[in-house]
Amino acid sequence: MTERVVIVGGGMAAVRLCEGLVGADVAVTVLADERHAPYNRILLSAVLEGTHSADALTLRSAAWFEEHGIELRLDTRVVEIDRTAREVELVDGERLGFDRLVLATGAIPTLPPIRGLVRRDGTLHPKVHPFRSLEDCRRLDASVTALLETPSPRAVVVGGGLLGLQVARALSVRGVLTEVVEGADHLLASQVGPAAGGVLARDLRRLGTEVYTGARAVRMTDDGVQLDNGATLPTDLVVLTAGGRPSTALARRAGLMVRRGVVVDSALASVTDDRIHALGDCAEHRRRTTGFVPPAWEQAEVLAQVLRGQEASYDGHRNVARLRATGLDVAVLGDAQTAAGEVVEVTNPITGSHRRLVVHGGRIVAAALVGDLSRVGLITQLYDRGTILGPDEPGQLLLPEAVDAPAALPDDAEVCACAGVTAGAIRACDSVAQCVDRTRATTGCGGCADVVRRLVGSAGVHRVPVG
Amino acid sequence: MRLTGRRTPEVSAWEEFPVNQGALCRKGWSAAGLYGSRERLTSPLVRDRATGEWSAVSWDEALDMVAAGIRAAQAERGPDGVAVFGGGGLTNEKAYSLGKLARAALGTSQIDYNGRWCMSSAASAGIRAFGLDRGLPFPLADVEETDVLVLVGSNLAETMPPAARHLDRLRERGGRVVVIDPRRTPTADRADLALQPVPGTDLALALGVLHLLVAAGAVDEDYLADRTTGWADVKESVAPWWPERVERTTGISAAEVRELAAMLAGSPRVMVLTARGAEQHSTGSDTVLAWINVALALGMVGTRGGGYGCLTGQGNGQGGREHGQKADQLPGYRRIDDPVARAHVAGVWGVDPESLPGPGRSAYELLEALGTDDGPSAMLVFGSNIVVSAPNATHVTQRLESLDLLVVCDFVMSETAAIADVVLPVTQWAEETGTMTNLEGRVVLRQKAITPPSGARSDLDVIAGLAVRLSSVPFATAPEEVFAELGRASAGGPADYSSITYDRIRDEGGVFWGGERLFGSSFAHPDGRARMYAVEHRGAAEQPCADYPLHLTTGRVLAQYQSGAQTRRVRALPDDGPFVELHPLVAGRIGVAHGEPVSISTRRGTMSAPARVVTTIRPDTVFVPFHWVGANRLTNDALDPASKMPEFKVCAARLSAVVVAG
Repeated sequence: MTERVVIVGGGMAAVRLCEGLVGADVAVTVLADERHAPYNRILLSAVLEGTHSADALTLRSAAWFEEHGIELRLDTRVVEIDRTAREVELVDGERLGFDRLVLATGAIPTLPPIRGLVRRDGTLHPKVHPFRSLEDCRRLDASVTALLETPSPRAVVVGGGLLGLQVARALSVRGVLTEVVEGADHLLASQVGPAAGGVLARDLRRLGTEVYTGARAVRMTDDGVQLDNGATLPTDLVVLTAGGRPSTALARRAGLMVRRGVVVDSALASVTDDRIHALGDCAEHRRRTTGFVPPAWEQAEVLAQVLRGQEASYDGHRNVARLRATGLDVAVLGDAQTAAGEVVEVTNPITGSHRRLVVHGGRIVAAALVGDLSRVGLITQLYDRGTILGPDEPGQLLLPEAVDAPAALPDDAEVCACAGVTAGAIRACDSVAQCVDRTRATTGCGGCADVVRRLVGSAGVHRVPVG
Repeated sequence: MRLTGRRTPEVSAWEEFPVNQGALCRKGWSAAGLYGSRERLTSPLVRDRATGEWSAVSWDEALDMVAAGIRAAQAERGPDGVAVFGGGGLTNEKAYSLGKLARAALGTSQIDYNGRWCMSSAASAGIRAFGLDRGLPFPLADVEETDVLVLVGSNLAETMPPAARHLDRLRERGGRVVVIDPRRTPTADRADLALQPVPGTDLALALGVLHLLVAAGAVDEDYLADRTTGWADVKESVAPWWPERVERTTGISAAEVRELAAMLAGSPRVMVLTARGAEQHSTGSDTVLAWINVALALGMVGTRGGGYGCLTGQGNGQGGREHGQKADQLPGYRRIDDPVARAHVAGVWGVDPESLPGPGRSAYELLEALGTDDGPSAMLVFGSNIVVSAPNATHVTQRLESLDLLVVCDFVMSETAAIADVVLPVTQWAEETGTMTNLEGRVVLRQKAITPPSGARSDLDVIAGLAVRLSSVPFATAPEEVFAELGRASAGGPADYSSITYDRIRDEGGVFWGGERLFGSSFAHPDGRARMYAVEHRGAAEQPCADYPLHLTTGRVLAQYQSGAQTRRVRALPDDGPFVELHPLVAGRIGVAHGEPVSISTRRGTMSAPARVVTTIRPDTVFVPFHWVGANRLTNDALDPASKMPEFKVCAARLSAVVVAG
């Protein structure tokens, strides 16, 4: 009998799983709480910045789900899982049966403990914006557009992580004077060390964004955001990007084991109930939760195989976190702060770069590159593939690439590859015309024409009088 | 080029010739180097299997022997007991006659050719996207009129040097050139933007570029609505390919991906040309489709100075694939499983349509089947040096050696001829007349200039000589007569030559089939629209691992051509032998210096060659040229599902320094 698979959540992990289930003998229902067809959440800051049209975010349209026989129910909230009856209950009381349930509920933004953030009626202060969904992005975008009509608009971003920096840059590029408040001692504290964080803060200030680290926002007033050091940052907007936590309320209520996330095994099944799976931001595997797309997609690919009845297991991931913000260069591979190994580090405070490779057994096991992304593609490949490097390589990877210095061409150097003509033979000619006639240089691809013009008739120059 | 000189032929430039305006590279200048060469074969040779000794025999003896072998193979295994293997260097007339020999005289479906390893991915993609495959749907000189030229996996400055002049003229005009290649080649040195992706990831790069074009609102929605189908799916399929994901997959930084997309978005005319670097992959045809999607999304295909094209790799790569030496085709680029095409061609040949075989095996599948229980036990080879040019060559050579009869037509003792039972000496280019269809779809005439050595015969004579022994179907041998017959057979097909004559070619400096420029108002599908296909990045079939940690890619060098059977024998061309190109980082890792021998292994074979240490190659990739025996012992035989192209351009390899004793 065709198994009924119910997926709770319509985010990036869920859509990837659906793609993996196309053509499988399962009846899939997706219960998504947002009103939009699944979209690419990680590009929201680019939409805010104006470099990405929101239109380009849709990962799979409703039509795609229909075409592949997958039931997509948008704007649908699940309130209860009945494990005994194997049913989920929706907010309107409707109950849906399942053979397999997949929790892809993602994360919910944490509200920092700031007084006045939430008003008495439970709604957010009108100046305050969370930034997680397309809806949030649209609201913020509308506010920014309106604000840009007013003189010197200002914003405060609460949270100096990847998302915070992206949003801060986006607002700044749009023309809003933006400040960042981060409770930790440096920016991007969960990914990089203080030196790298310092480089980033300096970059941001250079780009016109003030940064307050080691400072907590404690109160929202009509004047602005008050920090724990007593200062008040006047602002028209506050954007909350101070992280999120796995959305686990459903799983918890259903009695599934939950620590930070829903605890799953290598088949991405709950350790409490193997008919219920979890993946993406809401799942916890080997005591790790993620919060990034690549591991969620790797999990989706594994889970698709599991649900198809194939052998597959998930044994952790390698993550690469990249900042998408104009003018800020950051790549973090693995756990650059905690990974064990030898550290090769190059810091250049003069140019504002900090790069760190953590090497274990010849392999790059983690890396942080800030302010200088040269060779990021190569370093990522070496990291992802676990290539064993020679002892000098990690250091060389962080040095500038050797440039072949233009040297004086020796007479036996081949200048025209098409006709096989050496520098000496060209020097021996008096003119380009004579050279073409004698040697056929320049008559093939023509690439040597400049060099030939430079060399003809120069034989004498190289003769050094003796005695 | 023209041939001059009294006693020994010489090549001279023919400046009025429209394709190259007289420009030649050293291979062209030295192309007469094999006239009067001692290595030239002038008598049919038969090899004694017991002793390995060759003996000269008369043409009649040789052809009788071959015919007897074919009869024996077919008596034992049926019509498909004999196979025919052709080449993309053969003239149109020969390619046509070879297909006719297989289908009408031998009745075998087992025919394919080395062009399967050359342009088949682009051909397959072109047919699917546009309904028609013509390498360039416009004259090559149109390149100079574009604003951004994107070369995906082409090193034309070394592989077709005269064409590189177009790049210079384009740039003088203010146009820009983008080169995508894991190596920074001499072509890339002329580029405004040179990107060096991980081998096998050109497809992901195309998806990433299209993603950014959509994001920037730079696609031509009107064009897409009017002239294509499938855009909605394609658009969705690129949504997950944001630049940082592309960076992780391709090894090209997100900033460079953005730079490329911005360049394309901001230019009125964009032209994308693919070559073997993009195509010789198990994902080659999808990769071409992905780049075609970019050209279509920009609204470029069919516009002057814009669009998509494929840079052909062999002398007659285009014509060679149009006239029936491909396993699934009949003359005129017709499908062999199309009843109308079968009836038409059978009518021209004077045979019963029912007697024509159906589609046969693709080139590599055919070679794999040789000598097996349900494969052919005899094979005729024309214009191909399989031992050097086939992927996984050690295995293929074993298959060739397992045949009861291997016949090779060549004019030198190539590596493949050397293991044949019968070698038939044939004429070379200036000794015979014939047409070729160049990369632009322009049919050109190569006329006989000198008398061949006595003892050598044209392939057309060889084919007719065998046909007369094995069937009653008539075969013409005069090239112009064969061409006229080819024209009749191709009439009404996608590549219709029926209105082309030798006189017209002479008068007009070559004749484009289908017209000079295609797709201006309509594509070749019945509804006139181009098809867009949503394709997914899969990557190379064999990925680096702990045992084989590097990517190996293969390609050409300037002074050599294909398997080198000719160029390695031309004295005027330097033959420094094969080499292994690697980055200083890898050289340091394995402890080898420039010029020292290095051993390279894959799951299929090993070879040794001097190290060439250069900073111009990706440090996770090594390069070996394929003109010598060795490179293809390493390459992977994974095939593209659509085109059956083997994955010549990437596999996993291991390097080590060769320790020299003493």
